[in-house]
Amino acid sequence: MSRGGGAAARLGRRALRVCALPAGLVALWWAAAASSRSYYLPAPDAVAVTFAEVWFSERILADALPSVVRLLAGFALAAVLGVALGTAIGSSPRLRAFTEPVLEFWRAVPPPVLVPLLILLAGIDDAMKVLVIVSGCVWPILLNTVEGVRAVDPVLADTCRSYRISGFTRLRTLVLRSASPQIMAGLRQALSIAIILMVISEMFASSSGLGFTIVQFQRGFAIPEMWSGIVLLGLLGLALSLAFQRVERSVLDWYHGLRAATRGE
Amino acid sequence: MTGRGTRTPAEGGASPARTAAAGGAAGTAPLGAVGVLAFLAVWELVPRLGLVPGRYLPPATEVLAALAARAAEAAFWVALWDTVLAWALGLAIAFAAACLLGFAIGSLPAVRAFTTSTVEFLRPVPSVALIPLAVLLYGTDIGSTLLLVVYAAFWQIYLQVLYGVADVDPVAEQTARSYRLSRWSRIRYVTWPSALPYVLTGLRLGAAVALILAITAQLVIGSPGLGREIAVAQSSGAIASVYALVIATGGLGVAVNAGVRLLERRLLHWHSSVRTEAAA
Amino acid sequence: MSAVLEVTGLRKVYEGGGRRVEAVGGLDFTVPAGQLACLVGPSGCGKTTLLKCVAGLMRPTSGSVRLAGEPVTEPPPDMAVVFQEYGRSLFAWLSVADNVALPLKEKGVPRARRAELVRRALADVGLSDAAGAHPWQLSGGMQQRVAIARAIAYEPRVLLMDEPFAAVDAQTRAELEDLIRGLWQRLGVTVLFVTHDIDEAVYLGQRVLVLSASPTRVQDDLAVDLPDRRDQLTTRGDVRFTELRARVYARVQAAKRGERPAPDPSAPPAPAPR
Repeated sequence: MSRGGGAAARLGRRALRVCALPAGLVALWWAAAASSRSYYLPAPDAVAVTFAEVWFSERILADALPSVVRLLAGFALAAVLGVALGTAIGSSPRLRAFTEPVLEFWRAVPPPVLVPLLILLAGIDDAMKVLVIVSGCVWPILLNTVEGVRAVDPVLADTCRSYRISGFTRLRTLVLRSASPQIMAGLRQALSIAIILMVISEMFASSSGLGFTIVQFQRGFAIPEMWSGIVLLGLLGLALSLAFQRVERSVLDWYHGLRAATRGE
Repeated sequence: MTGRGTRTPAEGGASPARTAAAGGAAGTAPLGAVGVLAFLAVWELVPRLGLVPGRYLPPATEVLAALAARAAEAAFWVALWDTVLAWALGLAIAFAAACLLGFAIGSLPAVRAFTTSTVEFLRPVPSVALIPLAVLLYGTDIGSTLLLVVYAAFWQIYLQVLYGVADVDPVAEQTARSYRLSRWSRIRYVTWPSALPYVLTGLRLGAAVALILAITAQLVIGSPGLGREIAVAQSSGAIASVYALVIATGGLGVAVNAGVRLLERRLLHWHSSVRTEAAA
Repeated sequence: MSAVLEVTGLRKVYEGGGRRVEAVGGLDFTVPAGQLACLVGPSGCGKTTLLKCVAGLMRPTSGSVRLAGEPVTEPPPDMAVVFQEYGRSLFAWLSVADNVALPLKEKGVPRARRAELVRRALADVGLSDAAGAHPWQLSGGMQQRVAIARAIAYEPRVLLMDEPFAAVDAQTRAELEDLIRGLWQRLGVTVLFVTHDIDEAVYLGQRVLVLSASPTRVQDDLAVDLPDRRDQLTTRGDVRFTELRARVYARVQAAKRGERPAPDPSAPPAPAPR
């Protein structure tokens, strides 16, 4: 009985910790919107109502869904390409030396400038938008994979050799697994770049999609609608980040355990 | 016995082997130069042989000539300066805010617990979502660029500062307390040096993101800088110029990366594990 | 008894950065089948280099290694190596049982037989309960037991051990030494055991090869005439143990001072003294 009460109290404290600050911020927003009567700052309830009106409609199928599909397609293609090329380059010191300066340069190019370039090369259709996402996302994945593959522990590599483990088994159980922390770090960077590129490729040249719609609202001074779009993008970012965390946790379970063990925790 | 002691290098043949490897690394620079030349040669040949029409992909020599022509104009340097200014200013604001808040909130576990959910919610919000808001608030002013740059760079640095403050070695902290160091001295001599590698990692990640967002804002919103020059060149059909400006932004990116790495090496020469930190 | 391992004129020279380091210089020895031989020498004497050449992980500059008459040019199928750095030679992302099973899988051992070998090897090293754990959840000594289990499950003809107990504490080390003696007696495998610990070499071996400082040669080769049944208490208190230990110690000290062994007629001439 008392134990149950303790658990309930703990749960209550936890809920308070999670909700207190967001509730306070929303209240502040409300107060600010009510007192300023600023045209640009609608009250949170107005944004919520608009959100439901704007996005719980065919717009979610026409604009939001295709954007997300392009985002995921581009990200997945970049992941496959980046890991495959990165493994090849990381396994060969000569190839790495040969390609390193060129790759470092392309990694340093801010990905959004590729948008106008690729519009020239590939037009303004879906393929261009996916291509933009691939071309921007591939660099962090590729270079991190190279680093990870290169850093395979020499003792473990010798162990594999002495037990005559080679070819595909070696690639799968040694190289890719030991590089997985770096590969996941690259994928994480690439995911946030993918969202940026999805939005701006639609803002720059498009007649549909999330980025396009939000800019249209802003140009038409439909302020609550614009805010609802910002909220939707925020929620999309949050959802992708949570999904990625889940995948990362299961892939890198061993890595976090190992780190905790070597730190003596 | 699972400690770091197990990671000592093997005795015996290890050191001569490493000497040999280092000799090999010194020999990679020429191969890299060959790689750059090969890349330029392919770029030159693909349009010249008509594999891709020259009006979409001008040969390397034409692009480099366009870059040289741009570099002779004052407008190019003004645009470059605008970009660097927006980047540096935005990064500085984000860095100062993130360090202040990070150290304050990180060293107060209770406050940290209350802010976690908000941080987890706001951090993944893509900063480009704020573009319409920036346009409404600042138009094509530098303020638009700053809003996006500060928002994007802040989270990168802030999170690293939090990790850094949390990662202070408890033994070092207890040692400092047992010698009765004051709170301020503990921050100065224990917390700050232990967190510094994380702070600099945050600065490195933040600097790269800040450049991306600075260019994005100029490209999409039209605030002054290299990004706007690219948009203008593209809409006026000056293709070689677009490529030339892309190369210029790449050069800027390389300079930013190299600068931050240099800073890291300068400030962390005492810290042996700097280079082993994962690229997270 | 026929020699299962023959090392002839083995030399390894590192070159690079304008420097030339002769790590191993003209080494000859043979190990008969079923022997437990210990290699001991001052630290930095090229023991690891030597072992890597024997294991086929490194090409010698000249000379040869033969396993059962066959020249070793790459890691041979019937040899297993246990490294000093147990934490790094185990796959952190695989469970203990999978670590032991992986080489067998690659070798094409059928599933049922594989499961049996893994089970028996883990039981042999006393880790039956840890089969599902990850290596980093175990203590250092237990991790090294996993590496040993992996080596014996592989059923090698020759087992190479490169300072396997250098990074574990003294008590664990004594346990592991007895484990190795026990496994060697039971399985009849040939063991080449590299160590810098003189007591360990004398306690474990049937024979101790003392190596000189780099460039490595064989400084001394002595048979350990202690009884086959050894235990930490009585063996280490034995007068004969103390004598052998003193002799090996003296030879290692001589090696550290740079005294060279008497030239062996079959070896290439020694370099001029520095």
